[in-house]
Amino acid sequence: MKTLLRFGSVYLVALMCPSLATADQKQANQATLEQLELFADAYSIVRENYIEDLTDAEIMEGAINGALESLDPHSSYVPEQAYEERQKNARREYGGLGIEVTLEDGLVKVNYVIPGGPADKQGLKRGEFITAVEGEEIFGKTLDEAVSGMRGLEGDPINVTVKAEDSTTRELTIVREVVSGRAVRHRVEDGVGYIYIETFNHPRLSVDVKAAIEDLKSNFSGTLPGLVIDVRSNPGGRVDQVVKVTDYFLDGGEVFSSRARDRQDTRRYHAQDGQLVDGVPIVVLINSQSASAAEIIAGALQDRNRALVIGRRSFGKGSVQSIIQLPGGGALRLTTERYYTPSGHSIQGLGIMPDVLVAGSPESDTIKKRFRESNLQNALSNPNTAEIEEDFSIMDFPSEEWPSDEDYQLAKAVELVKSPLYENRLAQKNVPLRLP
Amino acid sequence: MKYILPTMGAVAAAALFTFSTVSFPASAKETSKSDTFKQLELFADVMARVRNEYVVDVDDVELIEGALNGMLHNLDPHSSYINPEQFKRLQTTTSGEYGGLGMEVTSESGVVRVVAPIDESPAKEAGIEAGDYITEIDGESIIGVSLSEAVEQMRGKPGEPITITVIRGNEDPLEFDLVRAVIKSRATKYEIKDGVGYLRIPQFNEKTTVTLVDAVAALKKEFDGKIPGMVLDLRGNPGGLLDESITVSSVFLDGGEVVSTRGRKADDVKDYFAKKGQLVKGVPLVVLIDGASASASEIVAGAIQDRDRGLVVGMTSFGKGSVQSVIPLRGGRDGALRMTTQRYYTPSGRSIQGTGITPDIFIAASQEEVNRDRISESDLPNSIQNELANEADKSELDIETPPEGFEEDGDYQLKRAIEILKDGSYTQKLAEANEG
Repeated sequence: MKTLLRFGSVYLVALMCPSLATADQKQANQATLEQLELFADAYSIVRENYIEDLTDAEIMEGAINGALESLDPHSSYVPEQAYEERQKNARREYGGLGIEVTLEDGLVKVNYVIPGGPADKQGLKRGEFITAVEGEEIFGKTLDEAVSGMRGLEGDPINVTVKAEDSTTRELTIVREVVSGRAVRHRVEDGVGYIYIETFNHPRLSVDVKAAIEDLKSNFSGTLPGLVIDVRSNPGGRVDQVVKVTDYFLDGGEVFSSRARDRQDTRRYHAQDGQLVDGVPIVVLINSQSASAAEIIAGALQDRNRALVIGRRSFGKGSVQSIIQLPGGGALRLTTERYYTPSGHSIQGLGIMPDVLVAGSPESDTIKKRFRESNLQNALSNPNTAEIEEDFSIMDFPSEEWPSDEDYQLAKAVELVKSPLYENRLAQKNVPLRLP
Repeated sequence: MKYILPTMGAVAAAALFTFSTVSFPASAKETSKSDTFKQLELFADVMARVRNEYVVDVDDVELIEGALNGMLHNLDPHSSYINPEQFKRLQTTTSGEYGGLGMEVTSESGVVRVVAPIDESPAKEAGIEAGDYITEIDGESIIGVSLSEAVEQMRGKPGEPITITVIRGNEDPLEFDLVRAVIKSRATKYEIKDGVGYLRIPQFNEKTTVTLVDAVAALKKEFDGKIPGMVLDLRGNPGGLLDESITVSSVFLDGGEVVSTRGRKADDVKDYFAKKGQLVKGVPLVVLIDGASASASEIVAGAIQDRDRGLVVGMTSFGKGSVQSVIPLRGGRDGALRMTTQRYYTPSGRSIQGTGITPDIFIAASQEEVNRDRISESDLPNSIQNELANEADKSELDIETPPEGFEEDGDYQLKRAIEILKDGSYTQKLAEANEG
């Protein structure tokens, strides 16, 4: 057994370090060899002595996943089967509940209920918590695990236990429907254009956004008086889509850049000349669940001085994961790059700080405390700055009397985009700090 | 649970390389060997990819530690990797005293859950309950943190304050301010209650049997040599040292089997016997257990029940019927593996794993206890299956509960245990239990 392992380890090192050249390298290789030997020893102990007879693949799956998860919360191992499954899922329309959720305090929180969707029909409301699916408790699961229990085929009913804001619980039976893939909704809101982008994870998203803007323009005979772009709770998605969408609002120039470990290895993404809504005041609405691609558009329009950003500090997921296929059929989901806004700020761990801080609910400790990337265990740090905090003393909270079913942040965004002081506020951003 | 068997572990690790190759038939060995190679190759490939492509430089040691954590954690909730630093501390603290909170915890999908707080500990006195989920330590989320790391964070110098956030049922998170204290090995306590002897074993540590023997001697003296009846209270006792469960059982049994452990291989069986000559011959005995009685508590209750030595009263126990061995890696220089290597079996051959010990008479402390979904081993995701019975005995239908108006801080289970001993129904009930 020992010989086998030694042979194994040498073999492993040979695989890892094809050129055994310099003395330094040799030393590093020696250290790596020792680590791999340690692993191979432990592996064989588990294999031989664990109470259950497990297959090699079962044992290894935990090990590889553990190694990747020790890096950061977004890196993970996708075993062969799961990878195949995901490939399949990507091509198949899945019946859904028509809700958008996040994980909060270990429970699934409903962030958005698609009007007229299956959940809406059963009276599920935004802000409520799903505590169990088919009688199985959510607590202790990851968001992926929780959500996978909710997916299913069209027409299949699902039982969920819902905890309302007043802590009462109730059971709902929701029949899954194929929820339309449309991730963009738009309307005229109080005299200005409003566009809500639910996710960037849709191949036709930029086309839909363009159509929405054209439709809004036609409502105002060609010229929008103002535009609110709502990316609240938008978890991000495809890079190509966010670049195309941001391009509509910028006249050339950089949208964002991404850098790998080697700083030379920088990719820059640019907008094309010309924009869809030239000269139209824009306000971008974000919250603590606006992540990744949503932070790219907010950061780009903010840095390029094209829009005012309003709401809460965004999530701070400024890293790119690549799917790396492995020979055995599985894959690695590995963090390979960080995002930077056009002014060179990393989004990672910090997020985008709004120009105008507005909260969605009345002032309380819970509304102040928000879960973000930097709260994740073992989150990747920001290369530039340690931490930024929202200044609650200047945050605009709705009063206790504000009706809970009305959107305070949106009302404030509309107010800002229509304000005669909009241009002034935008211009002031570039004015160096003046002392009173 | 603390089954630290370093000597045995070392033997197991050393034995591995000598005997492991003979344990497989030749043909099976060939396939498994090639599969092992395939998996180790996959692992090396992953390491190489991560080293080359991850967004920041990675440390081999951390990566391998992550892999070891993941590999062990993936096995079951009680298996874990102990890093060199923790191993060193483990060796110095096993016999010594350290500052802590005094509770037995387990891990459920990355969330730390309380099995039971120990009597008179800071945790118990602050009001932390069996089944609570610990979500934050000093305001920092520990969701996703390994069990050993969470335990590490809760330990510290006696006198140091700590804030623990727990989630209990569907309530809002609760915060507890505690002060770390020296967690002394709690001794067995005794009292005369309503004319019968009452013995309370809060945990199984190196003092347990010594102090139990003293307690029994003192009770004998108080009753002039003839104890009319005895209650052995193992409620909320999370277990402890295996050896102590054998010597404790010897106080009540006249020789014979207490428990056996079995490993994966058919010949890996070890029987543990009680010593001849019990201390309390012929004294009627009621053993009290509940959902937080685990491990060594279940061994004692199971032996007394199977050997018809007493009545087991209360609620179904936790169901922790597995033994962990601590296997040092390179003499502990590289840490150690804490791994499940055996299962417990009661003298009649029942596995405790998952199902726990079913009481002869179900009596709940309160109606709430009946309703509450008690934490038990089979609730833990990934817990080892009981291979003898997949379903726990669901006979908890006929559960006696305190009558309306029973004083809130009264101990109904103890009151009923004493009544059973005194109202003359004991012998009848014991005979019925033995028939059942």
